[in-house]
Amino acid sequence: MFGVLDAQMEPGNYAITPDLSGNHGNNNANNKKPRSSHSKKARDSRADDEEYDDEDEDGGRTSRRRGAGGGSGTTDNGEPENPRLMGMEIPLLDPSSDTVTYNGGKFDVGNNALVRARFEKYLQQNPDDSAEAKRYRQRMDDLLKLTQNNARQHSEVGSQTLLQIGRGLYEINTYPGDAGQSATLASAIASALSVQYANRAREQKNEQLTHEIERLVHDTDILTTRNTHGPSHKQVGNGRGARVVKNDSKSHTFRIAEQTTEIATKKGTKVKNDADSVAALELSKINYQATLVSFLFQRRFEHALIGSFAYRHIFRDGDNKLNIKKDSQAAKVFENGAGLPPTINSIASLAANARREVDQNMEAVTNLLAQNKLAEATQHLIEAVAIGEYMPSVATFPTESRRRIAEFWTLRKRTLTALNARDYGTLEEIADKMKALDADFDDSLVRTYCDGRKLQSDMCLRNARKAFLSGDEEAATDYAEQAALIWPRNPHLKEMQEEVLKLDNNEAIISEFKSLYARHQYRTIYNERSKFKVVAIDQELEAQLEDCATLVGTIDAMLSQIDKVVHQDKKMGPCMAYEMLLDFQDTDPRYMEDSVFKDAVVRFKVDARDFVAALDEAKVQEERREYGSALANYYRAQCLCATSKRAEEGIDRISQLILSSRFPQ
Amino acid sequence: MARRKSKGNKKGVNTTAVVIGAVAAVVLGILAFSGGGAKRAAANNARNFSIADYRTDASRYTNNRYSIEGRVENIETLGNDRLIAISIPGDSQERLPLLVRSGVAQGVNLTRGDSFLFEVECCTGHDDNQKEIKGVLVVRRVETK
Repeated sequence: MFGVLDAQMEPGNYAITPDLSGNHGNNNANNKKPRSSHSKKARDSRADDEEYDDEDEDGGRTSRRRGAGGGSGTTDNGEPENPRLMGMEIPLLDPSSDTVTYNGGKFDVGNNALVRARFEKYLQQNPDDSAEAKRYRQRMDDLLKLTQNNARQHSEVGSQTLLQIGRGLYEINTYPGDAGQSATLASAIASALSVQYANRAREQKNEQLTHEIERLVHDTDILTTRNTHGPSHKQVGNGRGARVVKNDSKSHTFRIAEQTTEIATKKGTKVKNDADSVAALELSKINYQATLVSFLFQRRFEHALIGSFAYRHIFRDGDNKLNIKKDSQAAKVFENGAGLPPTINSIASLAANARREVDQNMEAVTNLLAQNKLAEATQHLIEAVAIGEYMPSVATFPTESRRRIAEFWTLRKRTLTALNARDYGTLEEIADKMKALDADFDDSLVRTYCDGRKLQSDMCLRNARKAFLSGDEEAATDYAEQAALIWPRNPHLKEMQEEVLKLDNNEAIISEFKSLYARHQYRTIYNERSKFKVVAIDQELEAQLEDCATLVGTIDAMLSQIDKVVHQDKKMGPCMAYEMLLDFQDTDPRYMEDSVFKDAVVRFKVDARDFVAALDEAKVQEERREYGSALANYYRAQCLCATSKRAEEGIDRISQLILSSRFPQ
Repeated sequence: MARRKSKGNKKGVNTTAVVIGAVAAVVLGILAFSGGGAKRAAANNARNFSIADYRTDASRYTNNRYSIEGRVENIETLGNDRLIAISIPGDSQERLPLLVRSGVAQGVNLTRGDSFLFEVECCTGHDDNQKEIKGVLVVRRVETK
């Protein structure tokens, strides 16, 4: 259904060439070069059993037998080759699958570019029911009846009847829809009759020659008798002109010789005339039969019928066999293909059957449209148009029905376009629309196919993502390419692309992260943590990022808490804050590498400068073993901040030392 | 150990104190006759004493005696020895640590929140490792204010 097909046609000769880029069921791997009508003509002029080699462009197919009886038994793919007639391969329609077998390939008639083009043209045309068209069809029916009535008669049709048919054909030839086919048939009939007249003239001439030969033989016999038994004198001539001459045996001899030569010459002329007649008759038959076959191929079934019926009245020798070699492939068309002997009657039979098929198809189309079964109606109409575009039942198909079919056909065509573009999302949308138009439309194939391809593409993307995250860029690229090839418009493809672009940019980000972390710029990393999320592809870097977040988060929470303390007790608050900062600093030295923390330490150090000075001085004096001064400083610090742990610890420590020491009495 | 030594010293101190007290009484009598010069010198010392200076360099007051009035703010004890912290009137943001050896108070009940007159001497002591403990004000006498 979804194969991508292409076709070319020239008048009188279908040449359908498949484009196998799609997934149609065509098994032929090689494209076939279209055959032109020129080659057809050339082949027609050859002898039936002539053989010639034909090599296609791809070189994949050579030494094919052509000609009327030509044709090898099978194609390259092993399937039986189509029969040939007059050097042309005959396309065979398989109604079970709606496919036409031609030139080694199978074509869906609905997907064939030629059929599509002609069908679309047909759908856009108005019904041909003009007065001129009706007149044409009426005259054509009259001519058919005339020929059929005469065909039923056992007596031969006279030249007047044939001339009547010919004149009728010339008259309807002016109708544009006829495309000059009637004139062609009339011309063929006239040509055949001309040959017959010429043969008849030769026959008359031969009869005259026969009489002359008989007379010469008689005269020669007399002269010969006289030479043998006659008197010395003899009478020459008859009647009044008769005279008596001396019997001269020598002069009789020459006379006899002269007459004998004349007899031989006339006999030769007679034989030549007979040969010319036979040759002209055979050539005339070949030309006429070729015209009929051409009509058949052009789907001008009325013309084929008229020509076939007129054939036996033109060629009255009773020989109505097609001029094809016995046991040839062409003969098999009629013997095996259609089950008919290879005669002119076979052409008539094929044409009549085709007309019947077309009419039946059109009847089916009408009935199916009434049941709203657009898919089947479209298929039947395609077949009817493909076979009998010029048939009255097809040409007069109503506009409204054409519009309905055209609407469905457009959707069907879009399915092909979407399929060629591998746009499975659009394909499913179109299938929905087709289903809405025709509830009986079988969309299972489309949906199954789309689902399968989508899944394939998604799986490839999944593999690509995994490969990318594991650092295997080559494999990731391969998978991504496969995914894009299967479903180019896969929405996840764009996401993947963005991820890849991000990761490409992430190299710089990762480098920046490493640099900042090495310089202990935790606050900078924390502030741009959303940007540095990409480092998560590396577990170690991810842990460092989390560590930065934890560290800075803790600092911020702590500073927030300290701010509250300062706000509650503005006198001792700075001292408490400073001491808390020192406590935090003791737990993790990295706090002092944070700029905000350092700023806070500096700020509170200024705000609690007396307290800080007392603690610092106490520490200095303690180191100098000036315990009296140290203790006084600790007390000073405790006065400024009653909750100071450092002051309390210092007081306890030095007090115990002093109390346990010895001093002079 | 430190307490035992301290007790041993305490007897020595008491004997010495009696002797010194007798001598002092004589000296005081002489001074009383001469117009109270020693008492005047002690009062001068108290006025010249600065806690802020003491906090920066206590050693420079070593061997000096001062009479300082203050209110007991804190008491640390070890045995019968006490290390008290007093606040000087007019300076509530400072504390002055004083070592009150056992027996020095002589019946004066040092309680927190009460003010006393302390006669102190800045001394350098030694810990158990014979390392110096500098600039400690040792109370020599306490009087209720």
